[in-house]
Amino acid sequence: MYSIIYKLSRAMAYLGGVMLTFLIVLTTASIVGRSLNGVLHADAVVSLMPDLARWLIDVGIGPINGDFELIEAGVAFSIFAFLPLCQLTGGHASVDIFTSRLSSRANRILQMLIDILFAAVLVLIAIQLFAGMQSKLRSGQTSLLLEFPVWWGYALCMFGAATGAVVSVYIAVLCIASAATGQEYLPAMDGADH
Amino acid sequence: MSDAVIGALSFPVLLGLIFMRVPIGLAMFTVGFGGLVFVNGDAFVAVARLKSETYTTFSSYSLSIIPMFLLMGNFATLSGMSQALFKAAESWLGHRKGGVAMAAIGACAGFGAICGSSLATAATMSRVALPELKRYGYSGGFSSATLAAGGTLGILIPPSVVLVVYAILTEQNIAKMFLAAFVPGIIAALGYVIVISIYVRLFPASAGTRARMPYIERFKALFDVWPVLLVFGTVVGGIYLGWFTPTEGAAVGALGTGVIAWFAGGINSASLAESFYVTARSTAMIFFIVLGAAFYNGFLALTQVPQEIAAWVVDQGVSPWMVLIFILVLYLLLGCVMDSLSMILLTIPIFWPIMMELDFGFVSMMDLHAAKLDTAIKDGVSAWDGLIRGSIPNLSDAKFERLLDKTNAQAALLGFGSVADAATLSLSQNQIIAIVNETTPEMVQQARDVVASGGELSRELLRELNIRAANESALNRINIEQTAIWFGILVLIVVEVGLITPPVGMNLFIINAMDRSTPIVETYKAVLFFVASDLFRVVLLVAFPAITLFLISWY
Repeated sequence: MYSIIYKLSRAMAYLGGVMLTFLIVLTTASIVGRSLNGVLHADAVVSLMPDLARWLIDVGIGPINGDFELIEAGVAFSIFAFLPLCQLTGGHASVDIFTSRLSSRANRILQMLIDILFAAVLVLIAIQLFAGMQSKLRSGQTSLLLEFPVWWGYALCMFGAATGAVVSVYIAVLCIASAATGQEYLPAMDGADH
Repeated sequence: MSDAVIGALSFPVLLGLIFMRVPIGLAMFTVGFGGLVFVNGDAFVAVARLKSETYTTFSSYSLSIIPMFLLMGNFATLSGMSQALFKAAESWLGHRKGGVAMAAIGACAGFGAICGSSLATAATMSRVALPELKRYGYSGGFSSATLAAGGTLGILIPPSVVLVVYAILTEQNIAKMFLAAFVPGIIAALGYVIVISIYVRLFPASAGTRARMPYIERFKALFDVWPVLLVFGTVVGGIYLGWFTPTEGAAVGALGTGVIAWFAGGINSASLAESFYVTARSTAMIFFIVLGAAFYNGFLALTQVPQEIAAWVVDQGVSPWMVLIFILVLYLLLGCVMDSLSMILLTIPIFWPIMMELDFGFVSMMDLHAAKLDTAIKDGVSAWDGLIRGSIPNLSDAKFERLLDKTNAQAALLGFGSVADAATLSLSQNQIIAIVNETTPEMVQQARDVVASGGELSRELLRELNIRAANESALNRINIEQTAIWFGILVLIVVEVGLITPPVGMNLFIINAMDRSTPIVETYKAVLFFVASDLFRVVLLVAFPAITLFLISWY
């Protein structure tokens, strides 16, 4: 079971990384297009080779239309997709210096409470994101320049949010079992990167 | 219970949860959510906010800079640049007393210019420098301490993820923040080098030296770090010169670093996936805290607590400097148990409104008027030159004609002929400014006299010279920006000290994990020298704000 969840979380994180890379390339392409477009409109170029300049501009050398909107929607997908792996590998920042003196039994119970709370919050977030998606679907709201429906962005994020909710529930269940039996069911956490 | 009381009570509850090991983002989210439920009397508003708040928080253009910089840092670790930087620094410094350690600091500073994370810098440079330090007889504790301290340069030297978050929270210009961080970052590196040279004289047994390198080798090694300079120059320079937005700069930097890593043979399917995973973990952690902070701050703003605290602090009439020192000390203490980003997201929404109200007197009305008059004169002269030349950039023909007519009329009125005759008349600067601004040369001279004698221009003079935005509110805005930049750099330094102070200095642990043979107590002992240098630097930057601010133009 753990290995399935682990693979799923890594796959989501990988997809998020691919999306992030795509956004990086898109942004850079947009900057290059914008600069070239500026050059093509410059007086010297227009007077020296008007046809070539005109043609290149017509072909679409210029900033990418709506890059701003694509970044916003894409990065939201990436972040939601990153969440499950962070969740599963204990990547969230916390202060553990004061609880390190507690007994291992107390620590287990504390961890159980934290993980139940986390699961509750992530499930609530996923459910409300779904509700948010439905309301955007009903309102038919679209983005400003590309006019793609805003609910598409929400729908993409649902993958990460739902996986995150599943992972957090899985962790909470394991921690409840661990608190009850006194055994560890999760591999040691990596801890947070600061 | 009034809202303000609920808001004030939320602090101890939040801190209690955080100290009970509840992840910081989750704690802020929970307290913010609970607080909203409490204030509204039911859960409806809080739950309804969740419908769009997670999406809108995560789909932020300005915040998308964070995963991009993180990925850039991960690519940087694959680029082989750590090797090249260390080699270059070593060839120049290695033969000095403590030189290899100094080289490690220099290489960290260089690596910090393409990596915005302290942990990645410490880890990457340690991989390269720890074996070398060992080879030349540097003691384990001293070596680890040097690299832990050097790692903090990753975040002090722009680009820096923490600085980006601070700039977004306080609504400041990221480019200006980066520029302001530059000199303090260099001072930090120099401070560490000085610490090393003192340390090796106090404990001569802890370090060795290596052979001197011929200059030709040195320059060759230095030349090999050109990709670092190229990426750093493009990203920070491009953002500052306005070629692109900070987010675009991060994208260019990430792509550039990725390409360098690709050519260095550092990118394959396994290392690329690993970069994604590391970026994923850090990004998710940061954004969950951002989400929690958004919820918590939304609740706090509703209760008016930050404004109440700010007003209360101002009412006490304590010196602004005392307030600043108090806040910085608080950060140093908090930094012993908490990581830097969490601290900033947790505290800046409360501390910044206080700092905003404090007057450190960076820019006076006199300075503002002098600068404005200077600009008015420069603008006037360039407009006049443009009129004579027959065109002014960015001005349409119709507007140019109208300006020419107006100026001709004024020139005639003052008895100086017309713009066309200008070449034959040798007009003084005062006369030119008077013509362009439709006033008299005497007025211009009067304004110059006032400024020269250190006075403020009267309302009449300001109007005559068409000087705008020279009032109290403009001055206030300038001073708030100066305070924000200066305070941000100070906070950046004090929160980073936490990375190398026992008991939870993350950098210490990272390096300790790579060198199991050195007991961490040895590292603790040596690192205190570097902490002392950090504290000295904070005092220096507090006492002389100009060190941070002299590069930032405020007019």
